[in-house]
Amino acid sequence: MNWFGFGFNGFGQIIAADVKCKVSTPVLLSDARGSDCRVSGSWSSRAAVIHTDSGSRVCVSGFLRGSSGQVCVPESEGCTDASISERHVTVSFTRRVECWEIQQAQNRLVWSREQESSGQDVALPLVPGGYVVPRPPFFRPLCAKLCAVSLALGTEHAVLLTASGTVFTWGSGSHGQLGHGHLTSQEEAQVVEALWGVQIAAVSAGGWHSASVSAGGDLYMWGWNESGQLGLPSQSVEEEKLRARRPGDALVLADVHKGSNDLCVDLAVNQAEEKNKDDVFISIQAFPALVDIPQVSEIIRVACGSRHTAAVTGDLYTWGWGSYGQLGHDTERSTDEPALVKYFHSHDMRVRDVVCGLWNTYVSAVPEEPSSHKHTHTE
Amino acid sequence: MYRQGWKWGDKSIDLLNFLPPLAQMWTEVRTILPSTMDDFIIEFSEKIEPSVLKVLELARDQLYSRPDCPSSAETAQIIIDYSWENLNTGTWRDVDKEWRRMYSYGCLFKVLSLCNGDPSQAKVKEAIKTCDMGLLMGAAIMDNILQRLVCILKNTMKLKSTKVEKSEEPCSKKMKWECVSEPVINPARAVPRIQCPSLERFRSDFLDPQKPTIIEGIINHWPAFTEHPWSIDYLRSVAGCRTVPIEVGSKYTDEEWSQKLITVNEFIDGYILGTEEKGVGYLAQHQLFDQIPELKEDIRIPDYCCLGEGEEDDITINAWFGPGGTVSPLHQDPQQNFLAQVVGRKYIRLYSPEVTENLYPHDSQLLHNTSQVEVENPDLVKFPEFPKASYEECVLQPGDVLFIPVQHWHYVRSLELSFSVSFWWS
Repeated sequence: MNWFGFGFNGFGQIIAADVKCKVSTPVLLSDARGSDCRVSGSWSSRAAVIHTDSGSRVCVSGFLRGSSGQVCVPESEGCTDASISERHVTVSFTRRVECWEIQQAQNRLVWSREQESSGQDVALPLVPGGYVVPRPPFFRPLCAKLCAVSLALGTEHAVLLTASGTVFTWGSGSHGQLGHGHLTSQEEAQVVEALWGVQIAAVSAGGWHSASVSAGGDLYMWGWNESGQLGLPSQSVEEEKLRARRPGDALVLADVHKGSNDLCVDLAVNQAEEKNKDDVFISIQAFPALVDIPQVSEIIRVACGSRHTAAVTGDLYTWGWGSYGQLGHDTERSTDEPALVKYFHSHDMRVRDVVCGLWNTYVSAVPEEPSSHKHTHTE
Repeated sequence: MYRQGWKWGDKSIDLLNFLPPLAQMWTEVRTILPSTMDDFIIEFSEKIEPSVLKVLELARDQLYSRPDCPSSAETAQIIIDYSWENLNTGTWRDVDKEWRRMYSYGCLFKVLSLCNGDPSQAKVKEAIKTCDMGLLMGAAIMDNILQRLVCILKNTMKLKSTKVEKSEEPCSKKMKWECVSEPVINPARAVPRIQCPSLERFRSDFLDPQKPTIIEGIINHWPAFTEHPWSIDYLRSVAGCRTVPIEVGSKYTDEEWSQKLITVNEFIDGYILGTEEKGVGYLAQHQLFDQIPELKEDIRIPDYCCLGEGEEDDITINAWFGPGGTVSPLHQDPQQNFLAQVVGRKYIRLYSPEVTENLYPHDSQLLHNTSQVEVENPDLVKFPEFPKASYEECVLQPGDVLFIPVQHWHYVRSLELSFSVSFWWS
């Protein structure tokens, strides 16, 4: 299995020693290989848990100790999982979890905790008994009754999934990211009642938005939509489209709008600029909304960056803020409509997983089995 | 204009007089920057991540490594985008000033990249807008360098605009036809008027007993009435290209209400002269006079503010500029207020804090200082006690100053194109 990356590369976190700040089509991460490899991203760096014959360790690419580089963290030898932030890397082992400060001359252990090795394989930031954040107090307990199986931490909120498929949220609610229908912040975990009765299988949290995938493969999102990261009509995306239109082109197939189920093609600049007075733009969606990806039947996984979203269907779809190439469409345009990342499809690869840094996207993919190659959409 | 030392040989100084205006702009810009990289000191608290600090240092290094070519626009945009995300984290009040400073640095480097060489008028406009974004959302850096940059850019715009701007027809002809009802003031409820009271008289009769009053004759000497009478043309010339926050939507309690950042010219064209059907727009509660010092010269702080306990520097001065029909719903403020009317007339109703229980304030923490009642069209089924509340009312005219005591409920509706200046003091 291989990992690919695209988006912000200002510190070489995707392609080391490359002056290009933006990578807008997927690029193979040379060091992140192997079936157990896990990747996590911050704003300025990326960590991969690499398994070799001699053991496992964390390798960090990006901003490290004052400059850009790629280095392994010797203190992580034997780790099972890792999560990176601007100043720290959190590493979990079989019987303990540690948080290391990695921006000084010497790596410094700032926190650690012994733990019972749990039967379940929970991913960071979840640890037995609670979860870990890269700032004091590093460990935050979670009520055992919650039976948390997955936890996603956004910039200022948290989305938790329980064993029974229920979603809880807490933290800042200022942009509707808690999904309770209002903008009030919550200190305590609260059920997202609008999803009551839907069994959720995966959750994700971005800068100011949240996503959850049901067992049946439906995607629900809520929170801030200022760059179209919820897949709902965004005013700023519309304005960007209008600015990008080249005046004078008689026939401009630059933008394809989706009507009810039809594709409506803008034929002329004049036509397009006569804005429909009924256009409704959504800035904040405070209740979960179903996100439809046309001609896609099942969504398997979802990941959120600060203002963009990526979904795995066997293929990869991305939408939201794209100024740093983090959508992987070979452009820096943002979009409020889920769009296929053609790279994986055209290279006959099956996408397995996706993880986001703040301004980038990391994808794991395997070569497609020829017999099971599905044509799930038109090019 | 404040200038820092820039080491030129004598010959170069002479050359300055012969440079064409546009190259002169970049030269002027360089003179307000620190002369060397070592003089360009970057200091931030530990709260700022070393990674973004690195990008800022890179921008500075790029600027000084090649004197004719400024930092790249891309580097500046990274600083802007990252600090913007931090400005939107947490409540505005709690945003660390360091992030606002970082945002200003991002704007500075973006402006420098736009000013390079012979920038087009469009680029100079974008540079002015970028300065304004830094002034509105950032925090002062390098002795308020963005303010000084705006001055240089504005002068360049003046030089660049060769074609004479079509002079506007008299405002009354082009104004949007306003469906504005003219209120009749009930003399029994009229706010009392007083001519130029002494400090003592004002304190004993109005400030101490907390009684609203209209003070006449104390602002007529303002340059806004005399040397530079405020008009649409004048505002365009002083501030037309400046970006300001506009409230869109009939009132801030509406669901449709939003804010946008547009230039003063765009606001006048779109919302005052009504060239496009855009609904109600209001330049409201904005510290315009901090952003545009030229306008601050046209007004004066009322002498009566010295009767308060606060410092003069703590007085908040807000601009309120909009067409007829703008509404501020009934609400109360935590400070004393002098509302000076410069252009146009406003209908104002005042309720004492003693009748608060009849005014149905919102429950939410965000709006608990705002009444739920639409003052001029109250829903008496939902708010049956409202008519019990006694009030005073007035039509505020140009030259009037309304004293609104602290926590006094007030409702304001403009009757025509209006420009008011409010002074919040304690």
